[in-house]
Amino acid sequence: MKNVRLWRSASSQSPATDRAPIMTIRILLVDDHPIVRQGLKTLLEAHPGWEVIGEAADGLEAVDKADRLHPDVMVLDVTMPKMNGLEACRQIRQKAPGLEILFVTQHDSPQMMREALEAGARGYVVKSNAARDLLEAVEAVSQHRVFTALNRRDSVNSY
Amino acid sequence: MKLRILLADDHEIVRRGLCALLQNHEGWEVCGEATDGREAVEKAKQLRPDVVILDVGMPNLNGLDATRQLMQYDPNFKVIVLTITDSDQVIREALDAGARGFVLKSDAARDLVSAVEALQRKRMFFTPRVNDLVLAGFLDKGHAISRSEPPSLPTLTAREREITQLLAEGKSSKEVASLLNLSTKTVETHRSNIMRKLSFHSIRDLVVYAIKNNIIQIDVPPQLKTPAGSPAV
Repeated sequence: MKNVRLWRSASSQSPATDRAPIMTIRILLVDDHPIVRQGLKTLLEAHPGWEVIGEAADGLEAVDKADRLHPDVMVLDVTMPKMNGLEACRQIRQKAPGLEILFVTQHDSPQMMREALEAGARGYVVKSNAARDLLEAVEAVSQHRVFTALNRRDSVNSY
Repeated sequence: MKLRILLADDHEIVRRGLCALLQNHEGWEVCGEATDGREAVEKAKQLRPDVVILDVGMPNLNGLDATRQLMQYDPNFKVIVLTITDSDQVIREALDAGARGFVLKSDAARDLVSAVEALQRKRMFFTPRVNDLVLAGFLDKGHAISRSEPPSLPTLTAREREITQLLAEGKSSKEVASLLNLSTKTVETHRSNIMRKLSFHSIRDLVVYAIKNNIIQIDVPPQLKTPAGSPAV
């Protein structure tokens, strides 16, 4: 089930948004630290219509779960045991080109960001800014738009 | 009455995860959050929490120096140190600083609740590796720990360590002065003393020293353009 459109209830805050569609997004969350996954999950599931359908703790598990669960968006860490996120991204993009991948990493580096996009990711967010950038980034990549935000230059390119 | 916990980590996403974990426990509440060691020390003095959880690698003031400051202010503070590494040196520094709990960040989902429970019962909580090291040190009168010590350098004062961290993070003397409510001249005097004590001639030397001594921590990216997986950091 991908991007099923629902409608906001009449109790929505603003009349303008009463009939605004809520996009359901099924998310696979990949990070080797359970506490980081918990934090990301709390943030993502607070958004109406978004659901974390699975979690993985390394790149190998990510490739396997992407294959089995068919998420719409994968939130992926770079540095992980067994297989790093970049390699997982390359493999997943070959198998499931429609799945959009968003990196959430501690590496605030243009070089790493370039590598991530070359591997096939659609988005790149620095972990220290995840609470600020994550929701916007997931929304953008779910609509197949690029979202990158580095901390050091504070640049946000969404197109 | 609820057990009140102060939580300090510079990553909001980690604080959210830790909060969710701790708030799920009946009878506990997170009474405050801080994003660096300096804010943690201020909030601990102000809020008087039952337990303080401090990340080691925080900007402005790291978790180990924040622990030292808190214990100096009031030795009754109960501090749990959260760290990404359980190297001998970090363990030794955490114990020396007065931490009563030591939890690896990667194991926090499993160990943090046990650690807080231990402190609640007026006990201590350490990872098996810390216990092994302490036991080895006890049996071998400290040699097991001291063997892995880096070459000894003159000891810096608490203030000098604070200033070392801020300079190593790239702050200017003026910025350091503003953060610490000191005059720029005083900071420059401290800076000269630090460089003289350590026989350093450049900020680069100071940055390397700060990394080696866990005053600041750096992220190590996986090697780029490699087809195979990288080791965990």
